[in-house]
Amino acid sequence: MLGQLFVRECRQTAKSLIYWLIVLILIFDFTTQLGEMEIDEEPQPGQESYGYRQSEDPDIIMRSTLGQLTEEYVRENYTTYPIGFYKNVTLNEKDDARIGQILEETAGIAGRESAEQVREEWYAAQNGQDSADNMENMMYQEPLKVKPADGLTYEHFTELMDEADKILGGGSNYGKEYREKNAQVPMTYEDAVKEYGALIEEDRLTGGYARLFCDYMVIFLGILPVFLAVTRGLRDRRSMMQELIYTRKCSSLTVMVSRYLAMLVMLTLPVLILSLNPLLKCMSYAGKAGITVDMLAFVKYTFGWLLPTVMAVTALGMFLTELTDTAAAVLVQGAWWFIAVFGGVDRLKGGMYGWNLMPRHNTELNWQGFHGGFAQLAANRLFYMAAALLLVALTVFIYSQKRKGRLHIRGKILANRKSKS
Amino acid sequence: MSTTIEIRNLNQYYGKKQALRDINLTIETGMFGLLGRNGAGKTTLMKVIATLLPRSEGEVTVCGRSTLRAQEVRRIVGYLPQDFSMYPNMTVYEAMDYLGVLSGLSKAKRRQRIPRLLERVNLQDDRRKKVKALSGGMKRRLGIAQAILHNPKVLIVDEPTAGLDPEERVRFRNLLCEIAEDRIVILSTHIVGDIEATCEDIAVLDEGNVIYQGTVSDLIAMAEGKVYSAEISKRELELLKKDYLVTSMLTLGNNVMARFLAEERPFASAKLCEAGVEDAYMYLMHVGRGEYGC
Repeated sequence: MLGQLFVRECRQTAKSLIYWLIVLILIFDFTTQLGEMEIDEEPQPGQESYGYRQSEDPDIIMRSTLGQLTEEYVRENYTTYPIGFYKNVTLNEKDDARIGQILEETAGIAGRESAEQVREEWYAAQNGQDSADNMENMMYQEPLKVKPADGLTYEHFTELMDEADKILGGGSNYGKEYREKNAQVPMTYEDAVKEYGALIEEDRLTGGYARLFCDYMVIFLGILPVFLAVTRGLRDRRSMMQELIYTRKCSSLTVMVSRYLAMLVMLTLPVLILSLNPLLKCMSYAGKAGITVDMLAFVKYTFGWLLPTVMAVTALGMFLTELTDTAAAVLVQGAWWFIAVFGGVDRLKGGMYGWNLMPRHNTELNWQGFHGGFAQLAANRLFYMAAALLLVALTVFIYSQKRKGRLHIRGKILANRKSKS
Repeated sequence: MSTTIEIRNLNQYYGKKQALRDINLTIETGMFGLLGRNGAGKTTLMKVIATLLPRSEGEVTVCGRSTLRAQEVRRIVGYLPQDFSMYPNMTVYEAMDYLGVLSGLSKAKRRQRIPRLLERVNLQDDRRKKVKALSGGMKRRLGIAQAILHNPKVLIVDEPTAGLDPEERVRFRNLLCEIAEDRIVILSTHIVGDIEATCEDIAVLDEGNVIYQGTVSDLIAMAEGKVYSAEISKRELELLKKDYLVTSMLTLGNNVMARFLAEERPFASAKLCEAGVEDAYMYLMHVGRGEYGC
């Protein structure tokens, strides 16, 4: 019975408008982010740039952070991410003066005019005659670095930066979490070769691109499945079909599990189809370069990386819809998605997956980071799968109770509203 | 194996409100009518039998199976709710097939039964029509077809003729009678004509109580000798309404032919009439309870 119901649920999903909207959004996501993806060539000596890597050298951290502070002090506005959300901060006179004092104490730059001069000189030195105000050029220039004041210890620097972060309301470039990320240093040819080697040997090319693919897809798969789950859950009531189904012999477990599996399959299917595009690109490149790729990498990553997110979001949607008979799950999932998206902003390069619903790894490189954070990632994914299964079990319980005339929370809510009005 | 529905001392509550009061009924094979006003408790009683509501107190067994064992009861019960529809984008055949799968019917059985049932409810030519394109009557017929798809021993239909035109209503009643030849069919309605045309055994519910259980002819017998008609003026009609329950009126120029209930002949021109189910029902609901002083 489960198999036959599953097939019919898949058919129903395929006839649903919301499903095709989801597919269109996934295609849009893919084509805008990865549609023109090109496979990395092997680094060659003497290239203009090999990209950047994060440095742990205190001197580099201080120079980069002070460079950021000088830039923002000159502009008189600061970019922050308190609890992960973007915010543009403009300070009052008193706080602005204190930031000026901190800059003077840490970098020996007294006042805004001096700071502006430091900035001008930095960019002029890089571009010869070009002005620092030439924004087009600035995009290709190395970010401003400022030498720390003589005798400034790293400890004192961190204290003052913590104070600046506090003045800015947290989430600034000067807080503990972010200032270390300011210290981006150009990769050497050797660094680049090592990274490329890992992509070819450890990831067999497709592994790295599968992670990048997952990074883009997971953002939308962290929210879209809830719409499918909610519309499916509400369809019985809207179609006035609930009682016809409730009185059937079929068990609640079979009804709910067939729906859940159908949604998972129908959501995973377009993702797998889309993954054929980067797979073919990888295969084409590998054929020319004489590399053996992992043909199943995209399938493995889709199931390992994306499916737990789809499972969790779909299960939450089913659970809340069955519990409340409303679209409340969209609001709940929307809030969770927002927090998860912004929570992942500072972890784009991968390696730090934490417990985020949507683990990020916005590069085909950094195999080392992936390898180092794999245990954490596996725990994360298993946790969401387990949570999803628990939610499905609870949904089955609620559904079975509703079939017996119990737990009709929507009815109680409406009755309560009527009695109050 | 028992072929009856036994209801013993059934009490049903919605919070503090009591919807059914100490119901005792035995329902046997054939058509059984549940008659009563809107809100009398008919739907509640049927939902308890169909396992859609947990009974608060008492015992309900369907062909020997307690309603506490819901899944067992669902195998042998077909239910047609008052307000229902099906997924609008499904065709008639797809909807039947989907519900057939939920009833645990094999592919072979579905292929065999669905066309036969659609034929029976006269929807065979509409099997490819989308549910959203069906008329009210067609939807009701589809409702009956889905309710007997798994060949249940008991069929429960709640207000099935509401909103149907007279022709559809007659066709529907006939269909129910055919179905009831070899199973229990419980027909709930507040339309007396439906009961009169289809049922032999009935129960009348009022405010959660069974106020009558027996045959239709016994119910009619209760009103025999108490139904009168008289041609009176419109002014006299107002006076008549104050003392007697008028069950029908037919305007004849300046006069009115009134049919009413009275314990004895109220005036010389009143003629004794043969009682019908509607007269008997009205007698039971109003006069028998002392609402009119006749």
